[in-house]
Amino acid sequence: MPQIITEQNLRNLIDLLVKEAKLVVGPKLSGSVVLYEPLAAGSDLTLDALPRRSSKELFFPICEDILSYKRENGAMKVTDVDRSKFPETVLIGAPPCDAGSPAILDAVMSWDYNDEFYLERRRKSTIVGIACTKGDDACFCRAVGLAPDAEGGSDLFLTPLKDGSYACKAVTDKGQALVAAHQNLFADGAGTEPVPFVDQAVEKLDLVKIKKWLEEHFEDPLWEKIADICVGCGACAFICPACHCFDINDEGSTDDGVRRKHWDACGFAKFTNHASGHNPRDVQNKRYRNRIMHKFKYYDDKFGKTLCTGCGRCIRACPVGIDIAEILETINGKED
Amino acid sequence: MCKSDNIYLPNLATIEAIVDETPDVRTLRLVFQDEQVRENFSFRAGQFAEYSSFGFGESTFCIASAPTRKGYIECCFRSVGRVTESLRRLEVGDTVGVRGPYGNSFPIEEFYGKSLVFIAGGIALPPLRTVIWNCLDLRDKFKDITIVYGARSEADLVYKHELKEWQERGDVRLVKCVDPGGAGPDFDGKVGFVPTVLEEAAPSSENTIALVCGPPIMIKFTLPVLERLGFSDDNIYTTLENRMKCGVGKCGRCNVGNVYVCKDGPVFTARQVKAMSQEF
Repeated sequence: MPQIITEQNLRNLIDLLVKEAKLVVGPKLSGSVVLYEPLAAGSDLTLDALPRRSSKELFFPICEDILSYKRENGAMKVTDVDRSKFPETVLIGAPPCDAGSPAILDAVMSWDYNDEFYLERRRKSTIVGIACTKGDDACFCRAVGLAPDAEGGSDLFLTPLKDGSYACKAVTDKGQALVAAHQNLFADGAGTEPVPFVDQAVEKLDLVKIKKWLEEHFEDPLWEKIADICVGCGACAFICPACHCFDINDEGSTDDGVRRKHWDACGFAKFTNHASGHNPRDVQNKRYRNRIMHKFKYYDDKFGKTLCTGCGRCIRACPVGIDIAEILETINGKED
Repeated sequence: MCKSDNIYLPNLATIEAIVDETPDVRTLRLVFQDEQVRENFSFRAGQFAEYSSFGFGESTFCIASAPTRKGYIECCFRSVGRVTESLRRLEVGDTVGVRGPYGNSFPIEEFYGKSLVFIAGGIALPPLRTVIWNCLDLRDKFKDITIVYGARSEADLVYKHELKEWQERGDVRLVKCVDPGGAGPDFDGKVGFVPTVLEEAAPSSENTIALVCGPPIMIKFTLPVLERLGFSDDNIYTTLENRMKCGVGKCGRCNVGNVYVCKDGPVFTARQVKAMSQEF
């Protein structure tokens, strides 16, 4: 049975979840930009723009402690982080390009060795995704196999309707449970017509063909052509919902401090630099090649998934105008 | 601590001994502080670990001691960065963190009944030294064992005491060398680059496995020599070293193409290396 929730009740749901002591995170106007931030009340929710940064950091923070160490009476003691204190979290209002990213990242975070920092946050979170009606000309989710109304990754999926309410679909048990616990906010019925999606400039790409081209063109003039202008700022990686590279460093003294895991980017020159000074990716176009290869070939080789949701953030943020969708279209159009 | 599901948590180890191999290369012998870890820690030759200096972070080195030598592990490093320089400031009795062992290993059991040729350059002897001692501790299992080891200068040769020991053993053929200009007046080895010295030493490739580790330039010139000596790419093993952080296939920097050195390696055959995207 389809259900709907009015906009007011959606905001009421947030109020209730906050009262239940859950961490509720959603798009919120923060200064002049919309970001995923903790919502204090339903009125904080801002659904009229794609947040500047992705919702990845809810599961995989920019920087987090992974242990602390302290010398006590001469003996070093290492203390684990208490992950049971991670809050029950509801991510609300994430479009498919954000809601879909944890489902991609689960693979790398749980192959052989489990990153319990990420996985514990995943277990404790419910994702309320929302069909995207706010796309712009940088969006290319359709090109990478998602869509403005793709439910993948969402536990509960909302579709904006023309009368301002939302059609609801519980995609997973978690989503079902969220609805069941707040049943009075939801009404049975199909509601009015959905708000139409924005057309995207990029058509669906043949990811199999692109991968095959990448396989055969590790060396190709394309890399220099597209990426010699890359300044290696790393912005594309830091706002990407799927980039997962990180660094580990200590902060503190030799007697007392914390070890932290924090985001890193393959665009940075030092990312692969050996202590000897030798660097396997010694020029910027090799680093950018790795970015494309990782997203559209290596991750697929390892995990059978594309490491990109087509959110378009890297296109909007690149200071020199590198357009990943355009690059993919170029490769897609190649004859050999 | 070892019971935690936090994969980033190190075991604590005490520095039991320090050996200065060269002016800037140092060996630390480490003993795990937790009795259970001390007794249960096991690894295979070729595996690596993340060693931490608290307040500075972690560095990746192979486990340089042999798995046949129980009760301790050793690492060997050149102090060139923040973490290694801080590790160098530590003294006997100080504590370091150790995560691991990680990665694959040399399939030593498959080498039983064969001859072995070890070829190493400079500070790349430690990753082979673990295999060398492992095999010497099981000497009966192997036929001829040849070690070709070279460094830029006499001072840059690591494990000098062990080179002497290998030289004096009747069951190992050690060919040591230094680059032209690197020999002192009393040097008793050969003068020349490793690939050249290897070709002169001309070990037989019959029923023989070659194990190579060295800087990229040495590997590049050694592989053709091995080919001329008749070694097939399946009988040549090497261990790759790339910058790593997590050691467990997540942080994204050690990959050579779609091969993750930390998880798929660090030990590869020459055939596997040649099939990789050439990004070393």
